[in-house]
Amino acid sequence: MGLPEPDLNLPCANSGLGNYLWSDPPKEYKWADCVHCGLCLEACPTYEQLGQEQHSPRGRVHLIKSVAEGKLKVNEAFADPVFQCLDCRACTTACPANVDVGGLIEEARGQVRQALPLTGWKALTSKFFLETLFPHHKRLEAAGGLLKFYQKIGLQKVVRKTGLIHMMPEHLVEMEAIMPKIKSSVRKKYKNVNIIKAKGNTQHQVAMLTGCIMDVMFSDVNEATINVLTRNGNDVLIPKKQTCCGALHVHAGDREMGRKLAKQNIEAFERTDKVIVNAAGCGCMLKEYPELFHEEPEWYVRAQEFSAKVEDISKYLHDTGYEIPKAELKTRITYHDACHLAHGQGIRDEPRDLLLHIPGVEMVHMANADRCCGSAGIYNLTHPEMASAVLESKMANVPEDVEMISMGNPGCMLQMAAGVQKYGRNQRVVHTVQLLDWAYQKEDRQGGKSDGTK
Amino acid sequence: MGRNNWESRDPHIFNLAKLVSGPNSILYKHEDLVAYDCDGFTIERHLPRAVVFPKNTEEVSMIVQYCSENELPFLARGAGTGLSGGAVPLNREVIISMVRMKRLLEVDLENRRAVVEPGFVNLKLTNSVSERGYYYAPDPSSQYACTIGGNVAENAGGAHCLKYGVTTNHILGLEVVLPNGDVIEIAPNGIPDFPGYDLLGLLTGSEGTLGIVTKITVRILKSPQARQTVLAYFDRVQDGSQAVSDIISSGIVPAALEMMDKVAIEGVEAAAFPVGHPKDIAAVLLIEVDGIAAGIDEQIQMILDVCKKSHVREVKVAKDEAERARWWANRKTGFGAMGAISPDYLVQDGVIPRSKLPEVLERIHQISEESGLRIANIFHAGDGNLHPLVLFDSRVPGETEKAIQAGSACLKACADAGGSITGEHGVGIEKMEEMRFVFTDDEIKAQTDIRDVFNPERLLNAGKLFPTPSRCSEMKQELKKAETAR
Repeated sequence: MGLPEPDLNLPCANSGLGNYLWSDPPKEYKWADCVHCGLCLEACPTYEQLGQEQHSPRGRVHLIKSVAEGKLKVNEAFADPVFQCLDCRACTTACPANVDVGGLIEEARGQVRQALPLTGWKALTSKFFLETLFPHHKRLEAAGGLLKFYQKIGLQKVVRKTGLIHMMPEHLVEMEAIMPKIKSSVRKKYKNVNIIKAKGNTQHQVAMLTGCIMDVMFSDVNEATINVLTRNGNDVLIPKKQTCCGALHVHAGDREMGRKLAKQNIEAFERTDKVIVNAAGCGCMLKEYPELFHEEPEWYVRAQEFSAKVEDISKYLHDTGYEIPKAELKTRITYHDACHLAHGQGIRDEPRDLLLHIPGVEMVHMANADRCCGSAGIYNLTHPEMASAVLESKMANVPEDVEMISMGNPGCMLQMAAGVQKYGRNQRVVHTVQLLDWAYQKEDRQGGKSDGTK
Repeated sequence: MGRNNWESRDPHIFNLAKLVSGPNSILYKHEDLVAYDCDGFTIERHLPRAVVFPKNTEEVSMIVQYCSENELPFLARGAGTGLSGGAVPLNREVIISMVRMKRLLEVDLENRRAVVEPGFVNLKLTNSVSERGYYYAPDPSSQYACTIGGNVAENAGGAHCLKYGVTTNHILGLEVVLPNGDVIEIAPNGIPDFPGYDLLGLLTGSEGTLGIVTKITVRILKSPQARQTVLAYFDRVQDGSQAVSDIISSGIVPAALEMMDKVAIEGVEAAAFPVGHPKDIAAVLLIEVDGIAAGIDEQIQMILDVCKKSHVREVKVAKDEAERARWWANRKTGFGAMGAISPDYLVQDGVIPRSKLPEVLERIHQISEESGLRIANIFHAGDGNLHPLVLFDSRVPGETEKAIQAGSACLKACADAGGSITGEHGVGIEKMEEMRFVFTDDEIKAQTDIRDVFNPERLLNAGKLFPTPSRCSEMKQELKKAETAR
């Protein structure tokens, strides 16, 4: 039965949860909500591809429950369906009873990783990404140089080399000019700045999570986020102690590392009232920090307080109000719902609203816009075959006649950019907040606004 | 599948694997099979021998032939959303999963029909033709996920079947693999009213005991020109029931006429698609009329008048499509929503004459009190199709049995009121014994004789739909006890 909150006095799990031998096992109150109705089946990308129920949400929940009941063991055969899941949460949206399938999957992965530690190259790769790289901002920046190089040769080169740039409508070429060059990360840029002041009167003060991938590969998105926030009366803080949100670790079953990073972030943002995130995957993770601390009551409470402060940039702007840009962008775009924004945080209309309010932006409907693109954190590295099958059906839904695909998550941006390249499309992949920022910049260039011109 | 992973020592698995093409086309590992130990009816769980995923009729035929020759029990499964256990492998069956046969083969708007493979999902058919102004009428609440093959097996109904009829009224032709592997076509080309015995009618609703459907020609309908939806709240169930009767007797045939009681409302409001029903009302009616635009408003007015006469507390018309969609999502996810207020539920499927509604609901209320289990009622009130949902917790020793008994008692109440034990969910495993409430021994024998014409070895989906002789005598004693107690 659905309990709103876990009972903090529950004894530690190893006293009677069947074949889950470690602490922090999948929680019974989560699977008890599932009545096996099957309405989740068609929502699941892996079930769509394979048609097999162990690779469906209710099948996975059933297996997870069966281990707790002692009918199955935590072994390779159990690990396969549990790790084949994209953790996209589409099932949570479809589920009539709000079963937290994503939470169950992540907890089950925690058990699998302890029962069957990774070995060989998988262990090395995983260790490299999750332990050596992501939690360390400086190392990431160094790696980021390489990524930028890849991005350049991979994507922009295609545009330029094929002469596509000459075929682009003029306003797009113009936009290319407006677009900021790839710069260094914002954390580096504002290293010595305590508060990035609002333009005009300060109305709010917010802290910003810069993220790891976002800040290295898409520092322009972070830059745009800061521009949009400061333009709308927000002082922006970038707490120095902040670190990777831990989503990739938790998705991979490394809950211990997840907890460590969570604690660091909770402390780093302790003195702020609002935490703004522009990466859906990170935002969702931050909002779910309490799930990591079922067995640490003190941290559970702190995590709850922290999570309540977290908000996605699109929802924050939508809720607190923002200046509608006056310049026209004249572009046809479509919007892709990042799973962890739509299914994970229930944010669907707000980003679309932001886009629709930019003059000259024409929105084209994408069928199944909230279907996973296959990025799913590092899923595209661990399960390339499935990721690419999922990407293929995603790209089939991207309308032909749009110039840009807007979204709110860096993982999706990389994956969709790869899709654009792989299927010979020519859409530009952008973050929602970038479009808003470009409109502001264009307005300033046209002299539509006297203050705050850069 | 690498050689080293070949864990099965069952030679049949190896042989079956050779009959199906493509990667991952057979499951045999214990962990994978656990996901197939039940369908939407979770009380009986049994592991299959294997699950195979054929891509076409030929593969189905070869698998069936192999099973038949080697005397391996087998059955077909779609999305596994059935509520009576029709796809549960009671005899360690080889499950033939039809979900990879999911193509829409043909849409013939001129003749208003479409041809689908059995794994094609119900709602996708409507989605595929709706832009051109057509739809597929049968709309079981599981239509987001359930397959049309499964709909044929169970003769699925749905909210809008009041006006448009259940699945059998929309099936024009079938390709069927018989239990010996032979492939037959019934009513080829979807010609309606093909002469001879009505085999389409016989196969539709045979619950997977006569053959495996591999191709289905269905009727598609022109989307109604206009549609209006009404929500009405009543303080007394009797008033709601009276409104249902009065609406029908006023001559209106609503497209749908649905009812939920207090416990059901608690469930749907606690779940993922709440619409803000008041907590303290006894019954809510969801009424929809559709058809040509002229006359819709008039019908709505008549419905509003009837509701007012029946002391409705509040009644409103959906202001737009979005509101209508919210009301329907709230209703259609009703069964799954019970998960929000109970760990398990058992849904029953009785049919009664509409006039007996208040009386039977009262009896169900008594059953709930006697058993100590809460019972929610969600039902197609317009055609008297009740769905009492018995809420229970299988982790509490003895509660599952109590729930089964309470469910059976609900069906008895329906049968006693001159009704039947299933409207649309099928008999499956769940209601086999309750067949005694509505059929004599001879009548059951006549039907099993028909089954034996198609399925003489009883390898296909055995042990379902009809009571087994041994349990019959127990049931008779039960009936006798009930008689004398009265």
